Amino acid sequence: MRFFDASCRLGRPAAFGEGMPWQTDEILEIMARCHIDGALAYHIVAREGETQDGNELLLREIAQIPQLQPQWCALPATYDEFLHADALRDAMKENGVRTLRIAPKSFAHSARPYAMKELMGFAAECRVPVFFDYGEAPCDELYEICHDYPDVSFVITNTAYALNRWLGPVLDACGNLYLGTGNYVPHRGLETFCKYYAADRLVFNTNLPTGSATAAVSLVCFADISKEEKELIAHGNIERLLGEVRL
Amino acid sequence: MNWEQYIFEGKPFEGIYIFDVHGHVGAHKPFQLGGYDADSVAKTCRRMNVDGVVVSSLPALASDWKWGNEEVAASVDAYPGLIWGYASPNPFYEDCDITPYLDLPGFVGVKIHGDMQGSTPVNDPRYFPTYEVANERGLPVLFHAWLSAEVRAAADVARRYPNTKIILGHSGMTARDTALEVARTCDNIFIDTAISSTYDNAIEVLVDKVGADRVVYGSDICFFDCIHTMGKIALARISDTDKEKIFGLNARGLFSL
Repeated sequence: MRFFDASCRLGRPAAFGEGMPWQTDEILEIMARCHIDGALAYHIVAREGETQDGNELLLREIAQIPQLQPQWCALPATYDEFLHADALRDAMKENGVRTLRIAPKSFAHSARPYAMKELMGFAAECRVPVFFDYGEAPCDELYEICHDYPDVSFVITNTAYALNRWLGPVLDACGNLYLGTGNYVPHRGLETFCKYYAADRLVFNTNLPTGSATAAVSLVCFADISKEEKELIAHGNIERLLGEVRL
Repeated sequence: MNWEQYIFEGKPFEGIYIFDVHGHVGAHKPFQLGGYDADSVAKTCRRMNVDGVVVSSLPALASDWKWGNEEVAASVDAYPGLIWGYASPNPFYEDCDITPYLDLPGFVGVKIHGDMQGSTPVNDPRYFPTYEVANERGLPVLFHAWLSAEVRAAADVARRYPNTKIILGHSGMTARDTALEVARTCDNIFIDTAISSTYDNAIEVLVDKVGADRVVYGSDICFFDCIHTMGKIALARISDTDKEKIFGLNARGLFSL
């Protein structure tokens, strides 16, 4: 079984517990130990505020690391704080960036379609998957944006356990919503999800360095689902989504 | 096969004694679970070659103590030798006596979750009669220990009852360092691995700070899938001997199995 991590984080955190493997070489070591061939990575500086500088830092950090592919953090370009659609397309194409990460709550903007029009219009046109952590948008906003942009694949990461009743109706209504498996730890969670929504809407991720890759791979490997379903979750689904990107 | 081979081939560990000190049965309101009854817990345990699991009842902790303890008794009765029971008191009821449950075969300890019971500190004197019984019978007491104040209250109980084995559930979670600190000063404190949201290397830190003899496998099934904690232990950079101690050998001694 090989894995591709759809979302991990690089960069120096403001605080961390003893032993947390935040340095890039530590993350690469854990990836190797966990049979994770590659990963999409974003940078903490981009995620915590200095979006464009952080995205540049990311490119420099992973320039010599073929296992890591860039995931850029993004926000609406309302005040020209971020690249407008045409410039964003050019920059992503030039730098091999195929996914975006948004954080509406952290960046203090609405996730509703009216507030995300330019960015989501671009993502829809170019079939760029958009990632965000659970809790970054209320479920009602999540529903609206998934509903209004059916050509955008949204991947929700950093999940936990008390979310199924929130997410279920959105998953029912919007086939373009995917669930990252990192820290998705309800009892028989993957089995239950596959029963109700199918394995092709689950995307393996670790949430490294705050999440556990050893736990994440074990959850998939030991899940009471078929080998084919495991392969889809471990790498197949994210490879399909990345293959659909048209920049 | 080695640990890694078992995991990446998706096969349960063989020849390893696995005993889960932190399990539950019963529903809890925010969680939509993949089954929360004894059948579901037993099915997963058998599939993963878990030799035993000690469960408390979520309703016993969060609502009706008597109804919940009866739920544990029924679970133990349905799966003898696989599902073992924690009896759980409620400090708000003067008539709450859990000794009849502890008299039943298969009940091997006490679970206290003060946070679910009006945020009552576990060193509240109303819990003391239960600790007296546990102390007298040599039964381990598992505490929900998530915050620093909860860890320190549990340590106070450990010092008051030095012959009672105390298990700090969740390793203190957000108060891990406090949990490790009190474990170093109280020989009767053990740390469980039911750490739902933690990073890699956490198991290594526990072993480094308190020694593998004081760390026990706890999963929080059926709140959580028992597998993610298994993976953290099995793929941790600690010795095979330490992994076997954590997975079950320590618990075997702790619960006199």
